[in-house]
Amino acid sequence: MNLILDFAPPLVFAALGGVLSERAGVVNIGLEGMMRFGAFAAAAGSISTGSPWLGLLCGGLAGAAAAGVHALLSLRFRADQVVSGIALNLVALGLVTYLLQAVYGSPGVSPPAPALPRDRYGHTAMAYAALIVPVLFHVWLSYAPAGLRVRAVGEHPRAAATLGVRVLPLRAACVLGSGVLAGLGGAVLSVGILGQFDARMPAGQGFMALAAMVFGKWTPLGAAGAAFFFAAADAAQRQLSFSLHAADLRLEGVFLALPYALTLLVLALGIGRTRAPAADGVPYDPEGR
Amino acid sequence: MPDLRARLFAPARDPLWGAVLAIALALLVSFVAIAASGRDALAGFGDLLSGALGGPGPLGETAIKSAVLVLTGLSVAVAFTVGLFNIGGEGQLIWGGLAAAVAGRLDSPLALPLSLVAAALAGAAWGALPGWLKVRRGVHEVISTILLNWVAIHLVHGWLVAGPLAAAGGGASISIAGTEPVSRAAWLPRPLPGSRLDLGFPLALLIAACVWFLLTRTRRGFEWRAVGASRDAAHASGIPAGRRICEAMALSGALAGLAGALLILGTEHKYPGVFRTGYGFDGIAVALVGGGTAAGTTLAALFFGALRAGATRLQLVGIHPSFAELIQGLAVLMVAAPRIFQPLLARLRGSSAPAASAPPVPTVQP
Repeated sequence: MNLILDFAPPLVFAALGGVLSERAGVVNIGLEGMMRFGAFAAAAGSISTGSPWLGLLCGGLAGAAAAGVHALLSLRFRADQVVSGIALNLVALGLVTYLLQAVYGSPGVSPPAPALPRDRYGHTAMAYAALIVPVLFHVWLSYAPAGLRVRAVGEHPRAAATLGVRVLPLRAACVLGSGVLAGLGGAVLSVGILGQFDARMPAGQGFMALAAMVFGKWTPLGAAGAAFFFAAADAAQRQLSFSLHAADLRLEGVFLALPYALTLLVLALGIGRTRAPAADGVPYDPEGR
Repeated sequence: MPDLRARLFAPARDPLWGAVLAIALALLVSFVAIAASGRDALAGFGDLLSGALGGPGPLGETAIKSAVLVLTGLSVAVAFTVGLFNIGGEGQLIWGGLAAAVAGRLDSPLALPLSLVAAALAGAAWGALPGWLKVRRGVHEVISTILLNWVAIHLVHGWLVAGPLAAAGGGASISIAGTEPVSRAAWLPRPLPGSRLDLGFPLALLIAACVWFLLTRTRRGFEWRAVGASRDAAHASGIPAGRRICEAMALSGALAGLAGALLILGTEHKYPGVFRTGYGFDGIAVALVGGGTAAGTTLAALFFGALRAGATRLQLVGIHPSFAELIQGLAVLMVAAPRIFQPLLARLRGSSAPAASAPPVPTVQP
């Protein structure tokens, strides 16, 4: 259980980021890259200021900056959203490794960064935030006027525009917010869990967050629930290989592949109503018909 | 929604110049980045060039890397023709590499061709699956291929190579972990002494020529392109669109699987314990910069292969070789948004192409 609360927050925040962006109609394959920027910036901020909280802030801002590029390309210049996200991931991979080398002179890990404090149960504040934020997000998306506008823009932007919603600025705001969430998720990896930045971060967690978002049917509670479920599978696998000497069995890979395979299965079998927002990934042209 | 190829490439009405400009801009940005970090950027780029093209050794490295990129790039480009975005190259490459490593243990003169066929089949199966899911179950291929990548990565690296297929006595140390080595007969021959260049490079070029012929000069290629342009129209004119999509995705996966085989049979000679190449993802960059055509993709692969080979030399001036990835990512970023260049291109071409014919750029502030 403790492990779950440790592993879940990065996935939860990134998955919520995915939900925010895609419910507004912008596909976000770039979660992995945004998490990577966030993880590095959080470690760097924490090291240079000595405060993990400022590090967390840096992580969120770095994620937003990366998301800004995605928003600019896919909304202003109407680039294909999938391509823009992939490009972001590629740039994050190269640029962060380059920065790690340039700033800390190491290709592998950053120096230790001051980590977030843990309470007497061993949890950071972000673990509790990962429990509360999805609920707040759900309420906001379901009941707040702004949340309604976000959903409208993701389902039928032209209709929303007719009613006076400014589609592109709202979508841009959602992509930026998505970047903040993904950046925070990445930040938890570096200043929350490990206490330093590792060149391999986030090691596919951004894609797992994407899977959690799909598994959770593009809803905040569903995505967060899926993220907790995936984190539990991860934790169970570690427990198992720890306690049962299952290292001989070498089944870690099967466990790790399970969340992705399950998500695919749910999609393939169409269990429940699994549907992306109608205008997800469709560029909006304000001058079009 | 316009079809995939139109969305990706039509806005760049001059894809060649768009790609050249994108690469030039990416190089410029990275040059400034090196200079800004207080290093000798000119010397760094000199090292990059000599590491890619200076003599048989570097040229061999460039050829090895280019060959793999040609195949993963073509894999993505073939999927583009039927209007699918295959992000699953990495997973297809992994299965292909594993199949080659297993089949390559045969001690027979036929080990090499058999391993290549096994790799192509394994990749094809992993590629056809998202095609089938798209056609039959309506699962978007971007999501399914991403998921299948991670299923492949974890199943192969976390289970098969570490467990059932692991070499006896290995396992504990990463350097000797992996499968049993392939037999000597399965190695890709290296015709040139002093260079690691192997037969993979001519093989990749040959395959590229075949793909070009298939896509542009055969009935099947025409039908694939028709399906990519409009699945409904193709279906209405009697083309079995669903089957064509699955076929193209199988070929796409087979190409990525062959790329894995080149890595295993050319340089690794076994399936190693750690095999995260990133070539599958790079194929996306190669195909996008190459404009989605067979010829353009091959050219882009040669360029990025040289970049990758040369980047290893950058370590001499204290720059991590991942710098090549940065340049590649920046190039895709620029190619992704051809509208950025539209005004510039129009000006370059002067009056021959009036700017008025360029698609209008929205003036809404993001």
